[in-house]
Amino acid sequence: EARELRLSHQWSNQDVRHKVAQMVADEVAKANVGLEIKIYGSKSLFKPREQYKPLSRGQLDMTVLPLAYAAGQQPAYNLTLMPGLVKNHDHAARLVRSPFMKELEKKMAEDDVMVLVHGYLAGGFAGKDKCITGPEDVKGLQMRAAGKSFEQMLAGAGASIASMASSEIYNAFQTGVLDGANTSSSSFVSYRIYEVASCYTPAGDVALWFMYQPLLMNKSTFESLTPEQRKALRDAAAKAEAFYLEEAKKQDAESVEVFRKAGVEIAEMTPEDFEAWREIARRTSYKAFVEEVPDGQRLLDLALSVE
Amino acid sequence: MDPLLLGALVAAATILVLFSGVSVALGLLIVSAAFLMIFDGARSLELMPEIFFGKLDNFALLSIPMFIIMGAAISSTRAGADLYEALERWLTRVPGGLVMSNLGACALFAAMSGSSPATCAAIGKMGIPEMRKRGYPDGVAAGSIAAGGTLGILIPPSVTMIVYGIATETSIGRLFLAGVVPGLLLVALFMAWSLYSTWASGDAARLAPRSYSWAERFEILPRVLPFVAIIMGVLYAMYGGVATPSETAAVGALLCLLIAIVIYRMWDPRAIWAVLRDSTRESVMILFIIAAAGVFSYMLSALFITQSIAQWIGTLEVNRWVLMGAVNLFLLVAGFFLPPVAVILMAAPILLPIITTAGFDPIWFAVVLTINMEIGLISPPVGLNLYVINGIAPDISLRTILVGSLPYVGCMVLAIILLCLFPGLATWLPDAVMGPAQ
Amino acid sequence: MTATPSTQPRSPSPMAFVRVVAAISQAAGWCAAGMILAAVAITCQMIFIRFVLNGSTVWQTEAVVYLVVAATLVGLPYVQLLRGHVNVDLVPLALPRRARFALAVATSIGSIAIVALMLFHGFEYWHVAWERGWRSDTVWGVRLWIPYLSLPVGFGLLLLQLTADLAALIAGDDKPFGLEAA
Ligand code: NA
Ligand code: NA
Repeated sequence: EARELRLSHQWSNQDVRHKVAQMVADEVAKANVGLEIKIYGSKSLFKPREQYKPLSRGQLDMTVLPLAYAAGQQPAYNLTLMPGLVKNHDHAARLVRSPFMKELEKKMAEDDVMVLVHGYLAGGFAGKDKCITGPEDVKGLQMRAAGKSFEQMLAGAGASIASMASSEIYNAFQTGVLDGANTSSSSFVSYRIYEVASCYTPAGDVALWFMYQPLLMNKSTFESLTPEQRKALRDAAAKAEAFYLEEAKKQDAESVEVFRKAGVEIAEMTPEDFEAWREIARRTSYKAFVEEVPDGQRLLDLALSVE
Repeated sequence: MDPLLLGALVAAATILVLFSGVSVALGLLIVSAAFLMIFDGARSLELMPEIFFGKLDNFALLSIPMFIIMGAAISSTRAGADLYEALERWLTRVPGGLVMSNLGACALFAAMSGSSPATCAAIGKMGIPEMRKRGYPDGVAAGSIAAGGTLGILIPPSVTMIVYGIATETSIGRLFLAGVVPGLLLVALFMAWSLYSTWASGDAARLAPRSYSWAERFEILPRVLPFVAIIMGVLYAMYGGVATPSETAAVGALLCLLIAIVIYRMWDPRAIWAVLRDSTRESVMILFIIAAAGVFSYMLSALFITQSIAQWIGTLEVNRWVLMGAVNLFLLVAGFFLPPVAVILMAAPILLPIITTAGFDPIWFAVVLTINMEIGLISPPVGLNLYVINGIAPDISLRTILVGSLPYVGCMVLAIILLCLFPGLATWLPDAVMGPAQ
Repeated sequence: MTATPSTQPRSPSPMAFVRVVAAISQAAGWCAAGMILAAVAITCQMIFIRFVLNGSTVWQTEAVVYLVVAATLVGLPYVQLLRGHVNVDLVPLALPRRARFALAVATSIGSIAIVALMLFHGFEYWHVAWERGWRSDTVWGVRLWIPYLSLPVGFGLLLLQLTADLAALIAGDDKPFGLEAA
């Protein structure tokens, strides 16, 4: 029978994550299996961090979100925004096919959630007055990081952590409440941080900041579909996943272009910087994670073992 | 059902329910629950408390109780009277000087209070009895304070600007700055009208004020210092890199409470509780409407009504100024019945895409919207400032207040027209201070 | 003219139930005011730590947000007691006395029904957060059942106050919509 599914996300129409959702919706519609996906973008239905709860209770059918937002419900998800765990986009693509991801999918199944489209996006640092590449650069700065593990690492490097809503970053940069921020390439662009920053350290050959942002679906809802509908969804998802990976790589280059055009200095993170950060992360965020999550060490080792 | 038809049904049901006399917030929840149950099934109903909580789970909302406390703390002291008296001693030679000092005091007080009723109460408690005693007609006394009080939401800080900033994701710092010049313009228009009407009534001589010596004029200035200190402190915190605009509100609230307790010796715990009680009452009332309006807009969005209306308006080929006129008319009518925050929260998600598609600046629109909402504050049947005037001077009839404030409504309409002709009135200051908008 | 929201407590009711509920709502009002004050203090502390000491501020934003949410919910019954929730009573005032009384009862029952619904699902939501051990996804990691508790508590107390109001209305002790003037 004909079914209508509801997909909620926080992104604008131009965002790659919306395009991924739209692609799945279009492909499924084309398959003509009596399945329609209605997209509610730009936070028009739920706030970003409020999507996982209704998803897991079957009140929402699908969403595209940074899985780390739900780390309060499943602490293991903190591994999807852990400094230095992912080196670059190709490494990320191997990670989603690894036993590590199978373990995470088991955790999702506990909440009646499943993945349709895997995908990682990268990010970097923006500095108000100076460039941030290595850990010594953040000492004494007021920093705002998207994600708990990054906050722990930055604090370990001697930065002060300012917690504030992402919508306040721009203003806080401008008035000097904040000295630096750490978030995804696309968020830097959409919050127009290039207008108020003096230096940008994008994701390059090595990048510290990678965030897993899959298209998720309620598992019971998926299982209630007809075999044809399920197949159409799977096919659409496979196509969207390939597109997502290509676009994710382009995002970083595009953000650099936007910052450069705005006259912002572009800095580069060296492999030595990366190792120095990872060393701090090992004794701060990795350590905290292992202490907090019962089988944390095993999950961390699984993630680190991906070549 | 067609979403547009459904939208019309929702509008009709909302009007019906709200006119029954149920409180606005509960009425919005009732309408949302009914439509979600019928058109979206039980699973959306389960979500209502979650959405309700989520709408309140926003740091920027903190500033609403804070800016209300600022106004309540100061209005409970004789600071308002000091301010008003200082202005009177300086404006004494002007015909209608007393009305003008009241309007000026309202404008200055508005720079410390985020809410309109608080501004109205602070100045009116002293100003209305004084004006009546000196022979000003009841309508002028009540009308000028009712209208002057509305400046509370235009001159920063402003609760409605905060709510607009949250609903539309525009910078609250920028919105605050945008209200400054139009606020001063409105004060000037109010004063010009008062001057003219006093002169035209031929009573200027009878209303001749008592005169003050220069010594008396200078002697009162130190008593205005706490005001200056608060305003400077808040401005420094907000634009000097100390805190974000929402955090600044807490600094302001603390400063005002401290000044009330230390300088104005508000030591009686009952007096402090009165301040907290009034602030809590107004804040909870506003925040309840904000959360309920959030559930309402979830319902509109879940049923695809918001999206369909925006699309439908997009297909209409109308002149952008005709559109702006229609939008203002809609806001004006909504403002007759609903408090400003409810109008902004219900209308912003639908109106903003329309406004920006038509090429209007969202910051500029916030100012037009706010002035429009100011009219609603002094119009029946729900006019928050009318309650306040009624509380101060119960013997002045509603009719008299309304007739008295009508000319000031005219000033507000004129201000909206001026803003349409010269949008720079709103956008110049934020652009100059914070750099050009995107 | 609409009813003026009163800052004065209503005259004490002869019904013990109504008086007890009024006392509870009054206490809830003190709690709400206290939470708002605490939010002011914590925000100022946060600015001090960050701006003066250049230190980390990890928990303050979250604590303040939950305090204001809880103040709103817990404050609901108190504001209801003060008749501080704005309404439009144009139509009720235009009706004859008997119809006005009927409408007052009807809106009162409608209010009770919607608040009961919010209480029921609010309790359920709180219970899920408790059962599954949900936390916030920050370094502070608040156990979410604590802030969510304000949903059942706030709506529960509001339900109590609305029920007391209905009882007073039916007993003729309370006269909203200017029924005393008619
Ligand atoms: Na103001
Ligand atoms: Na009105």
